[in-house]
Amino acid sequence: MPNSSAAKAMLELADVCAQVGAFRLKNISLEVAEGLNHVLLGPSGAGKSTLLETIIGLRPLTAGKVLLQGRDMAGLPTEKRGMGYMPQRLDLFPHLTVRENILYGPRSRRLKPAEYEPVVRGLVEATGIGPLLERRPDTLSGGERQRVALVRALAARPRLLLLDEPFGALNESLRHELWRLLLDLQKQHGFAVLMITHDLAEGFFIGDHVSVLIDGEIKQSGDRETVWRSPATLAVAEYLGIRNLFAGKVTRCDGEEVVVDCPSLGGEVLVTKRSGVAEPVVGEEIHLGIRAEFVALRNQDHPPKPGELVLQGEFTGLTVAGTDVTLIFKLAHGQAVLEIAVNRRLLRRFGIRVGEPVTVGLARRDLLLFTH
Amino acid sequence: MRFRRVTIACALAVLAVYGLLIVSLFYFLDLSAVWQALSSKRVLFSVQLSLVAATAATAIALALAIPAAYALSRHDFRGREVVDAILEFPVIVSPAALGAIILIFFSNPLGAWIQDHTIQFVFAFAGIVLAQFIAVLGIAVRFLKSAFDQVPPRYEMVARTLGASPLRAFLTISLPLARRGLLASGVLTWAKALGEFGATIMVAGTMAMRTETLPIAIYMRLANADIKGTVALIIVLLAIGLSALYVGKLLFRERHA
Repeated sequence: MPNSSAAKAMLELADVCAQVGAFRLKNISLEVAEGLNHVLLGPSGAGKSTLLETIIGLRPLTAGKVLLQGRDMAGLPTEKRGMGYMPQRLDLFPHLTVRENILYGPRSRRLKPAEYEPVVRGLVEATGIGPLLERRPDTLSGGERQRVALVRALAARPRLLLLDEPFGALNESLRHELWRLLLDLQKQHGFAVLMITHDLAEGFFIGDHVSVLIDGEIKQSGDRETVWRSPATLAVAEYLGIRNLFAGKVTRCDGEEVVVDCPSLGGEVLVTKRSGVAEPVVGEEIHLGIRAEFVALRNQDHPPKPGELVLQGEFTGLTVAGTDVTLIFKLAHGQAVLEIAVNRRLLRRFGIRVGEPVTVGLARRDLLLFTH
Repeated sequence: MRFRRVTIACALAVLAVYGLLIVSLFYFLDLSAVWQALSSKRVLFSVQLSLVAATAATAIALALAIPAAYALSRHDFRGREVVDAILEFPVIVSPAALGAIILIFFSNPLGAWIQDHTIQFVFAFAGIVLAQFIAVLGIAVRFLKSAFDQVPPRYEMVARTLGASPLRAFLTISLPLARRGLLASGVLTWAKALGEFGATIMVAGTMAMRTETLPIAIYMRLANADIKGTVALIIVLLAIGLSALYVGKLLFRERHA
């Protein structure tokens, strides 16, 4: 993964505020580094599209600054900002052919054919839309339309591409194909990307850097590994799909270790402190969490590791979605119910059956502590 | 099913109302009178005058109505509600009252100055165009606004992000996407201008071979109790109006082919 902190900023947002009706974007600050991908994750209604429209000049700022390569965009109309934009509904112009759609940008920006033709040719070739050039958008499939919209957004060679949930309406394999295509095009052309999505898989596949926007505020921003492994707040953890969350109280803070009384997990639990997260204090009500993927199944062949929190219980149910299996684990001496994510192979290897006793292990480093 | 039948019956009743009136014309239809009308210099002048005046009034109305309708469809601005409400002004006041208001305007110092220093409107060709223009302007804006409302603004937004100025986005995206509604609005505006009577007669009078448009000629024939002549001219007016609608549809079909 590229080191985003070393790269120069292509886009900077400094305390950006905007308002749409009663909804407000509050002091949004983030940076998109040159040639890298920044993904803005957030649930529906979090303000993601509003933020993108504010950046591109379709909505006014109420405060703050939008800087593109250090240049303040204040007062600059949308058409002069030089950003590429691919909206959620794609909005290919229905009365124009694919070719006319693609050339709309370069012609509007009054580029000379010599400036845009090689770029357009390269993009058309890379995306395989050559045979579609004379067709109208209403005759294209979903995947073809996405490709055309992507080429149209890139045809005028923007240094920054803004993507508004562009691959939402496609099937899984097509989406993966387009994610890879986007990354390939980025490698070839070197543009930076700011993409918004509510799809976690998409966000963590594409983003070098990930920010989480909830209720008009950035709740966390960091490289994708940090955000995925270590959500900063309970709200971010819940949004990022951590469903194993248990209330508790801090009973001791000792250097890097925190002891938490967590009745639903059967008593005291030892947790390692995390950097970048508010310091817990003794007596504070907190939540403990662990990703379903990090709950380890244990048996004689796979015994608990030193320092693991070992829990005895039984499986009360399982759900299967394709190759992914979610097991429901009920603690024998406590109220906790945990979700455990495994795959079919692991399911077979452990010979898991609903109703049978089982042991699971929670590694201390994987236990997340959320202060309120 | 019952509701469906009732609504279809109402649709057919609309046809029956207008159809009955049109069919009743044939009771007095005299083909020789139609022929006589078509070969009469005075009638031909009225036809020509009506066509030219309606076309001029429509062109001027559309030149103002297209940007105005676009603004009403797309932008929030101070006075928008008032502008929107005033569009019904020609419909609320009767055509005769509208003509009277125009006449009164030319009787005040500003109107008199305009007439003295620019063009003569009262009892003149310019008066016909002006009366028709004022009678159709509101409805033209209303029709055109509906046409622009049908085009999602997001297409223009995308055009702007691709580097198009607001004018280029309007000319290359909104106008072509609204073409169906624009064409229909143009044809209907022209047909309404062609049939305009009340305001025109008040402003331009009934001078034969000068200000006698086709609707005024119809009125004059009826005033002289010339029923067959009236029917003949109505048939001519009807034929012109229907031809315009047909040509409009043909044009639209060709553009879509």
